[in-house]
Amino acid sequence: MRVTLETKPRKKPKIPIEAENIIPQNFLRGMDITVYEGNKERRLEDLFYIAVEGPAVSPDQVEVILKGDTGVIKRVGEYMNAGRIVVEGDIGMHCGNFMSAGEILIRGNAESWLGREMRGGTIRCLGNTGHYCAAGYRGEKRGMRGGKVEVMGNAGDYAAEYLSGGEVIIRGSTGDMPGIEMRGGTLVIGGTCTRPGANMTGGTCIVLGNAARIIPTFAAAGIRELTWEDRSYAVQVYNGDMANRGGKGTLLVRRE
Amino acid sequence: MTELLIRNAYVIDPINDIRGEIMDIPIREGKIVEEVSDRAPVIDAEGYLTLPGGIDSHSHVCGTKVNFGRYMSPEDMRAGRTARKGRMHVTSGYSVPTTFGNSYRYSAMGYTMVLEGAMAPLEARHTHEEFTATPHQDMMANTLFDGNWSIMEAVLDKDVKRAAAVVAWILNAVKGFAIKLTNPGGTEAWGWGEDLAGIHDEVPHFGVTPAEIIGTMIRANELLHLPHSVHLHCNNLGVPGNHRTTLETIALAPDLNPKRQSLYLTHVQFHSYGGTTWRDIDSRSEEVTKAVNAKPQVVMDMGQIMFGRTTTMTADGPMEFKLYMLHHNKWSNHDVELETGSGIIPVYYTRKSLVNCIMWAIGLELALLTKNPWQCILATDNPNGAPFVKYPEIIALLMSKKFREQEGALLDPRTEHHVPLFAIDRELDWYEIAVMTRAAQAKALGIQDLGRGHLAPGALADVAIYPMKTDQLDPATQFQQVIAGFARTRYTIKRGRVVARDGEVVVDGANSTIWVRPKVPPEYDLSRDPEFVKKFEQYYTVRMRNYPVQDTYLPRGICIETEADL
Repeated sequence: MRVTLETKPRKKPKIPIEAENIIPQNFLRGMDITVYEGNKERRLEDLFYIAVEGPAVSPDQVEVILKGDTGVIKRVGEYMNAGRIVVEGDIGMHCGNFMSAGEILIRGNAESWLGREMRGGTIRCLGNTGHYCAAGYRGEKRGMRGGKVEVMGNAGDYAAEYLSGGEVIIRGSTGDMPGIEMRGGTLVIGGTCTRPGANMTGGTCIVLGNAARIIPTFAAAGIRELTWEDRSYAVQVYNGDMANRGGKGTLLVRRE
Repeated sequence: MTELLIRNAYVIDPINDIRGEIMDIPIREGKIVEEVSDRAPVIDAEGYLTLPGGIDSHSHVCGTKVNFGRYMSPEDMRAGRTARKGRMHVTSGYSVPTTFGNSYRYSAMGYTMVLEGAMAPLEARHTHEEFTATPHQDMMANTLFDGNWSIMEAVLDKDVKRAAAVVAWILNAVKGFAIKLTNPGGTEAWGWGEDLAGIHDEVPHFGVTPAEIIGTMIRANELLHLPHSVHLHCNNLGVPGNHRTTLETIALAPDLNPKRQSLYLTHVQFHSYGGTTWRDIDSRSEEVTKAVNAKPQVVMDMGQIMFGRTTTMTADGPMEFKLYMLHHNKWSNHDVELETGSGIIPVYYTRKSLVNCIMWAIGLELALLTKNPWQCILATDNPNGAPFVKYPEIIALLMSKKFREQEGALLDPRTEHHVPLFAIDRELDWYEIAVMTRAAQAKALGIQDLGRGHLAPGALADVAIYPMKTDQLDPATQFQQVIAGFARTRYTIKRGRVVARDGEVVVDGANSTIWVRPKVPPEYDLSRDPEFVKKFEQYYTVRMRNYPVQDTYLPRGICIETEADL
């Protein structure tokens, strides 16, 4: 089943839409779904032109396509456990919150907290993403625990904060402090970043561009060869963060 | 003239020795009276269990320490959300809810008065501001004196009268209710990077011991004729083997006041551990309750822990640091001038932890082994042991051995080798529960003369009607109904007004704050004492005149004036 949701013109297009109900498993039960526009509860057809093609018997056969002015839609794919969501443009904050399986493809940019505390599945963003990509929300002690997030462009600050499992790949650059408080999993940064891996206790953070201001509580542990996606790099190994008791994280930074 | 008549109520009122009678309760102008006119609106209580409004005599619900718990745990504020509904504000939070959340949840359980367990004098203004935003309960604040430099100097000089004068000035300035000592001397030693192992160790730089501080403060308290006794959080909280300190402390309590206890020990569960380390910890509730049974001058509260997530917050900074070293979770230690400290960390009590299972059992044992229910008050030290919304579950555990065994089966199997709980057959009855949740509190806090905690004519009309008929309900087997019944009153009546019905708040509240002003002779008025004033100028970051809380912060303050024997 393919569900296409195209946004209708709105009087106040800047008011965000809270759409935690836009997940494939909900569409199996029909289109009787509500979302919030600001603080008003709306039916899905009030805000979207809906087109449905084909049948589905299980949620993994459902594909949801979002089109139009989608940059103000938040929380798409929250608690998603199967199926596929394709966003033809930008997407708002908290896309893929807590998702456990399935796939989200974003052709534009994603706002902050993409894949917040996600448990499994795949998110692919072809543009840039905001701050706290694949992180935990404020106060949480664990961020993403499983699955894969891939960002083709750049990410903001605090990417993969509290990462505990799974894989985060940012092909562009990140802002300040990617991989802060990491406990496990893998973070790969293709471009540049500053202060990676601060306070990490586990996991692996790989910087294939240039890492500025590596914090002094990391212990340099030699140079080694690293093969990633069929290319090999010479990387400087750091262990840390030594400010933590049992800081067993690994930070690998490509040598010039 | 506002009137109300509650009919057919099955009343248990321990202070007036009413042990279950079908009665009518007439109310006029917020007070219980002999009779009302026949035009008065009638509430039919249908024979439901009707008690005086509940009183929590040790809870942390307002003040900067609580607020800091809210800052520190934004994830907690995402739990327990309720939407706006009728008169009810939006609330959020589970272990440290918003002030309205606290107030509504207490109202749903039939509680009409709450004592904030610890108010730092420097931060009193904030506490009073939060009191005014806790609309349905009358509030009181224990004021912290555990590391007060002026007090310790008076103790060193063995000058009880000067200690009393310091207490009088501070209580009056910050509009506090009673003296609270938290790990006396220990928090001050911690400020110097040291720690005390017992109540006979000397506080560094001051040359006094915790035992001397406690003894002096008890006598100063009685000189000032304060309504409540010294409210003590013993030394060595949460340390294996600390039952010795607790027994030594209980032995300190003199017989000074015939009307009430002279020492109130709070969260005694945390102070009844045997053993030497976390590996060989065991329950010493039998020894502690034996000492309490032999000493009518001591009242304690349980400090029950319940499994689940919560936030611990106390003025006992060193103890919170030790907890942090166990969990390596987030933590805060806070320094509040020369009077006290504080610490906050989130915790998770789990059945997988043997230590937590033992702690859970000790709290229940304290209540079951104390012969006189007036000496053991039901409290969790909210939110340190558990949020207060767990009270109904604790009541059910105390009333049903079957429920205790059912819970016991889920615990770590080694628990039974460390605790006597499962050999205790006692099941508390409705009367004892009524004592432990309101009457004992009113007596221990010394507010029964203000018409609190009982239902005789002249008393304030604080009434809780629970949807339970005691003749149709066997608490030993139907504990789930007991939990549900105590969790939501049919009606909660505060000062003659129905504030909550079936767990939902129906009116805006107007609470009052009760505070104490001890009147001292002019020669003991410290605001003119050069040495006392100099202390503020030399050591404090704020001036003396910054301390007093103005009356505007207590829009509905009730002042208890006492005449000091100085």
